[in-house]
Amino acid sequence: MIIRLILSRMVLAVLTLLAVSVFIFWTAEILPGDIAARVLGREATEESKQAFRDRLRLDRPLHERYWLWLKGAVQGDFGVSLVDQSQERQVADSIKPRLKNTAILGVYAFALYVPVTIFLASISALYRDRLPDGVISLVNLVGLAMPEFVIGTVLIYGFAVKWSLLPVLSQIQRAETLKEILNSTTLPAVTLTIVMSVYSIRLLRDSLIEVLESEYIRMAILKGLPRYRVILFHALPNAAAPALNTMALNLAYLIGGVVVVEQVFAFQGLGSLLVQSVFVRDAPTIEAVALLVSTVYIAANLFADVMSIVLNPRLRTG
Amino acid sequence: MNPLLEVENLTVDFWNQNRWVNVVSHVSFKVMPGEAMGLVGESGCGKTTTAYTLLGYRRPNSRIDKNAEVCFDGQNILKLPGSALRRIRGKRIALVPQNPTTTLSPGMRVGRQINEVLAAHGVSGGERQERVLDLLAHVRLPDPLKTAQKYPHQLSGGQQQRVIIAMALACRPDLLVLDEPTTGLDVTTQAQILELLMHLRQEQGMAMVYVTHDLSVVATICDRVGVMYAGELVEEAPTGELFRNPRHPYTRGLIASVPSVRVPRQRRRILLRGYLQRDQLPPGCRFAPRCLFAHESCFSDKQNLVTAAENHQVACWRWSEVPQLATEIVEELPQPEIVSAPKGAPLLQVDDLNCAYEYHRASLFANPVAKLVVRDVSFDIRPSETFALVGESGSGKSTIARTIAGLLRPPSGKVTFDDQAIAGKVGARTQDLRRDIQLVLQNPDASLNPRQPVLQIIGRPLEIFFHLRGKELRNRVEQLLDDVRLDKTYVRRYPGELSGGERQRVAIARALAANPKLMLCDEILSALDVSVQASILELLRALQAERQIAYLFISHDLAVVRSLAHRVGVLYLGELCEYGQVEEVYSPPFHPYTHMLLSAVPEVNTESRLVPTVRSDAAEGTGSRKTACPFANRCPWKVGKICEDVPPPLQQVSETHALHCHIPLEELRQRETWSKSTLQTAKS
Repeated sequence: MIIRLILSRMVLAVLTLLAVSVFIFWTAEILPGDIAARVLGREATEESKQAFRDRLRLDRPLHERYWLWLKGAVQGDFGVSLVDQSQERQVADSIKPRLKNTAILGVYAFALYVPVTIFLASISALYRDRLPDGVISLVNLVGLAMPEFVIGTVLIYGFAVKWSLLPVLSQIQRAETLKEILNSTTLPAVTLTIVMSVYSIRLLRDSLIEVLESEYIRMAILKGLPRYRVILFHALPNAAAPALNTMALNLAYLIGGVVVVEQVFAFQGLGSLLVQSVFVRDAPTIEAVALLVSTVYIAANLFADVMSIVLNPRLRTG
Repeated sequence: MNPLLEVENLTVDFWNQNRWVNVVSHVSFKVMPGEAMGLVGESGCGKTTTAYTLLGYRRPNSRIDKNAEVCFDGQNILKLPGSALRRIRGKRIALVPQNPTTTLSPGMRVGRQINEVLAAHGVSGGERQERVLDLLAHVRLPDPLKTAQKYPHQLSGGQQQRVIIAMALACRPDLLVLDEPTTGLDVTTQAQILELLMHLRQEQGMAMVYVTHDLSVVATICDRVGVMYAGELVEEAPTGELFRNPRHPYTRGLIASVPSVRVPRQRRRILLRGYLQRDQLPPGCRFAPRCLFAHESCFSDKQNLVTAAENHQVACWRWSEVPQLATEIVEELPQPEIVSAPKGAPLLQVDDLNCAYEYHRASLFANPVAKLVVRDVSFDIRPSETFALVGESGSGKSTIARTIAGLLRPPSGKVTFDDQAIAGKVGARTQDLRRDIQLVLQNPDASLNPRQPVLQIIGRPLEIFFHLRGKELRNRVEQLLDDVRLDKTYVRRYPGELSGGERQRVAIARALAANPKLMLCDEILSALDVSVQASILELLRALQAERQIAYLFISHDLAVVRSLAHRVGVLYLGELCEYGQVEEVYSPPFHPYTHMLLSAVPEVNTESRLVPTVRSDAAEGTGSRKTACPFANRCPWKVGKICEDVPPPLQQVSETHALHCHIPLEELRQRETWSKSTLQTAKS
């Protein structure tokens, strides 16, 4: 039963991804103008333009090119970058270090985000309408109202400029040891954690409060169970479902949507690569990054789906 | 012997909209070791709050008076710190709450939920698993090993309640607090749970505090009863004494309001008037506004419990006069008229109706599967007649109502209304037909829009069907409110400002607004207090007499059905197994299923404790039908293989009464025990 359910979700996820890939490829291809002319410049000869088109197989029909592109993408070959024709730079090569940086930052931020959210939401729900809840809600509201670049800037001002604890700019591309990595990622990671957790804390707090008022929680208390067991085994698993979906979306956001935060810290991640590629109209790179980000989005949602199936026995048993 | 539990001066207030509202007031009682004490009263009387306080539980935003004491085994529970409370809860005082479905943690296997209690109270790991299986077997759950591995939603309501009882018994508590443990369960399931509780009490000698609104359940299971009204204990006596000589006017009214399944039509009786209005309590006796015998002084003088007889205490200064006064009033009441089923052409005729729900698809690409829940049901209803459908949950009663209302399209069968075959779906029906058939649902909290005032709720059908506007509309709504005995100032109120009974009256008024010929009443009384039930029953009878409305009355309550219906159909797993005039169905010969249902109903019995017995609870029979007679696998009188293979023949008992069974009528007459036990009780 559960295997079938998960399998059918996975099939759906793959289908969605295919649809997305068609859309991405098509959008990049309909960008106006002759790509060859755009890349090689106005002075290029007709022969060199023709050679360029041949190399990129631009004269083949769209569906054939899509198929070739997809086949390559599945094997990790996203083609050649259009910028800097002299060097024949593979898209995959330019993505790889960026992906690594983004992954490090993402994992770091996510590892902070989940426990912080659960902890603060639990405190808030347990001390509902009392001082701790009030303080958390207030700070939350401030966080919610501030755009991410303001949060980042404030953190830089405090930790980097005023107290000189951490570097202003993130030099992750030069970091080698763990200490250097942590040094260069902590501020952006904290910024992202704040951005992500403000909304999740509210969500989890509200669903926790609802669960804490339920009869099964009252029963758990009146069974004489210790408090931590009531929270950990009875309240949290049942309150997690709505928060899980936001967590999954946030996970995806970490991979592709953190352009602004990357800019604030001059962080060399996927987001800034995407922005740069858009400026120079480097279609293969845009396609590759977009496909990668969509894959993460879909995978994260699939993960959230599967988790809520696992947490809710109603969905997994007949 | 010292009492196990002593409640002294318990007073509880809730914080509600910026002020303290008193919920329990100066309640004192004692429970001896091994004794079963019942607390009864209508909703809002504070019985549940009292029960939870016994476990040291305090609702958020509530306060307990500092002079109150709940002494359990010499310690005041209210003064204990959290850690000491945790050691007592679940170990020495255990709880069985009302709704098993919402009480079990949905994400945890039931075995583990029991295991947890043992772990919290220091039973070692090796021993626990064995104890869990023992407990599950003890509450008579089939295959403990398998059951322990199940999640709550995989069990039926009755099985869930057994799991909770097993959980409560895990540490062999001295005191079991039960809060309406069988409300919401089928009668047959209730009978089994009651029987189990009595058996366990005998075996383990634990004391019980049993909270319920159901007097007949209390009569079955308790040694002593306390009656609560508006937060006060108004009468307390041993069970037999209380039902034989009720002293307080409220107790008398409560007992009179309970319809009996054993007596044809209620004799003359004094019903309770009005309902509890917490914001209008007088400083004196809180019951005075509803009391037939109240003097002026009752409104100002506080009534304290006084001893009326040995062990019998009552909080009414006129307790000695009340019986005499009551008799006088009863004698002035008119005799209830004898109801006979109306004759004439049927208004609604249902022939070989099948009903089905479409199942969810098994996977994305599979076809939806239809599940047949009602098979070949036929009946008819005449104008101003009440036809009742009875049966356990899952028998398809509500499905039939929904199908007639046009919410479900029947796969086959014919429904004729006023000699016209009517369309399956409501959207395809004519305006007139939609007006003629109106549906009233069980839960008025859910069926009335909370954001609409009464004027709009009742006015809507008037706009649609009669194009009334403005002043005209308002006048008509006020008239309808009057018809359902509500004040016309209610037009401006919202459902949230009404009591449960008033809300159901508004729902009935909304149906009446369409001026229907047929009203489908789906369990409309089950969510209401007995006194409110009784008054709505009176209302339904009066409306029928005034307007010749026909009712399809769907209920699981056999006593209510007996007091209201002209004809009855008994439904089991979607098939009619017996039907006839009401008195025919309630007297032998019975279909074995009818007999089982009747035997499961507990009675307010003054002489002896009749323990209802049934063989299996409702859930064991549900699911897909595998036998020719749907009841074969649960039938205590099963003949043999023939029941599984050959559909039972229809045996005509009289012109109007028939049942499906292989057993000859004469033998059915001999085998039944229910009406034989009736004889002595009907007299008392």
